[in-house]
Amino acid sequence: MAGQSHEQGAYVSRKDHSGRGELRAWARRHAYSLLSSVGTLVRNPVTSLLTIAVLAIALTLPLGLNTALVNLEAVHDNLDRLDSISVFLEVDAGEDGARRMASRLSNWRNILAVDPVSPDAGMRELAGASGLDRFDVGDIPLPWVLEVTPNSTVDIAELAERLRRADRVDMVVVDLDWVRRLDAILGVFSRLVILLAALFAASVLFVISNNIRTEIQRRREEIEILALVGATPGYIRRPFLYSGLWMGLGGAMLAWLAVHAGLWMLRAPVEALAATYGATAEMVAPSTQLLGLMLAGSGALGIVGAWVAVSRQLARINP
Amino acid sequence: MIRFEHVAKRYPGGVQALSDVNFELERGEMAFLTGHSGAGKSTLLRLIAVLERPSRGQVLFDGKNIGRVSSRQIPKLRRKVGVIFQDHKLLTDRKVLDNVALPLLIAGFSWSEIRRRVRAALDLVGLLDKEKTLIPSLSGGQQQRVGIARAMIAKPPVLLADEPTGNLDPELSEELMRLFCTLNELGTTVLIATHDLDLVERLGRRTLVLKSGCMVDDRSYNGRRRDDGGAVA
Repeated sequence: MAGQSHEQGAYVSRKDHSGRGELRAWARRHAYSLLSSVGTLVRNPVTSLLTIAVLAIALTLPLGLNTALVNLEAVHDNLDRLDSISVFLEVDAGEDGARRMASRLSNWRNILAVDPVSPDAGMRELAGASGLDRFDVGDIPLPWVLEVTPNSTVDIAELAERLRRADRVDMVVVDLDWVRRLDAILGVFSRLVILLAALFAASVLFVISNNIRTEIQRRREEIEILALVGATPGYIRRPFLYSGLWMGLGGAMLAWLAVHAGLWMLRAPVEALAATYGATAEMVAPSTQLLGLMLAGSGALGIVGAWVAVSRQLARINP
Repeated sequence: MIRFEHVAKRYPGGVQALSDVNFELERGEMAFLTGHSGAGKSTLLRLIAVLERPSRGQVLFDGKNIGRVSSRQIPKLRRKVGVIFQDHKLLTDRKVLDNVALPLLIAGFSWSEIRRRVRAALDLVGLLDKEKTLIPSLSGGQQQRVGIARAMIAKPPVLLADEPTGNLDPELSEELMRLFCTLNELGTTVLIATHDLDLVERLGRRTLVLKSGCMVDDRSYNGRRRDDGGAVA
């Protein structure tokens, strides 16, 4: 009994060992393919770098546009907060009425600040904006205007309606049009980013696929020899798939660096531009999650592109 | 080990390379395949290595009809057959070491084992000092020997050679043939296609003769015909 179980144990352990050996051989084959793909890239540095540069340029466009969009949206949010409503009071309200109204409105929950503007001040502002020294409107009496700054979370249209219904208010002017327009422009932009991303993803696929195809043609003899000495199609395919992966990853990394370089170069002029509006500009770099997503996507596209090219060529060579 | 039954091979262009070939090679046997160029020697070898499939008849390898195996199984079969090609079929942009190591890389051997075996194989073919040399800087004869080292490194049960002495001087040819004999003595089944009749004569092994795609003669080493034709050559 004991002898038998011992024998069985030995058999099982031997079988186990051979299974591990298989696994180890499989891992080694993968390692050799990986090394071989790196070797190919290193042996042809110019070709590899050119391909990676082309991929990087293709990926920089959508990524750069996306970064611009993210930054514009941040600016847009700031503008919303700075947006104010002009409340024109009835002409006979006078200074007292305007001051009383201002203190009443400043207690409203949705209003951040109220700034009364006298008819004279309003006139001076208007004259300044139109570039004239004086703006003669004759004897027409001008009203007091309250410049109302709403809370950032408030629905401006609704607040305007409430102000319109208030006592002694003649007219409420909200210049929402340009905010809406900017909104619409950003909408167009973000759709454009998606379109460009799809377009350039396709170009990444084709660039890698084409590169691998020429690489296969160049190494046609090698593929044939590998097949002659008993390499499986999987073994022949693998180094090319790794090459595709390297190119995809390299392109994504370089695009990432290019966008960062672009941000760095734009920093000074954007700050100067912001300064003219009396604001400070904080440029947002693309997020790390986006980098991860891009690396994964580009790498996957590389593998798919290589797979397509190799399968077509293997079928044609038919070793 | 290898058995041809009424094998014919017609290439797509219409060239009839083999018409009706019948023979059997026992395990551990060593034989020569002779005939004029164009007689079908290379085609016969290519059929054994599953580089071609027969148009008619059966090629049996270990009792298995390899003319009908699925293409998925071909790589496994090719690993059992070491082939020495007339045009060497070496990777010209790699070193000798990388070329000889190829079958072991495919099989997933460890690098230290690969190094050990490559050195042993190169020692056997007399190229131990050329391990790091690139293929183009070797002479034709040296390249041929690299091909032999690659064919035998994974210790396949069958070794096929297509004109292995084609561009070697007589001395080297002799040496090479002795190497094949040694491998055969170690248990490898060897089939060598050659038109070097002197060499065949000297070695006195079984000889198969092809003529225009037909097996016209099959002489055993003592000069007697194997089939019942009975005539002494």
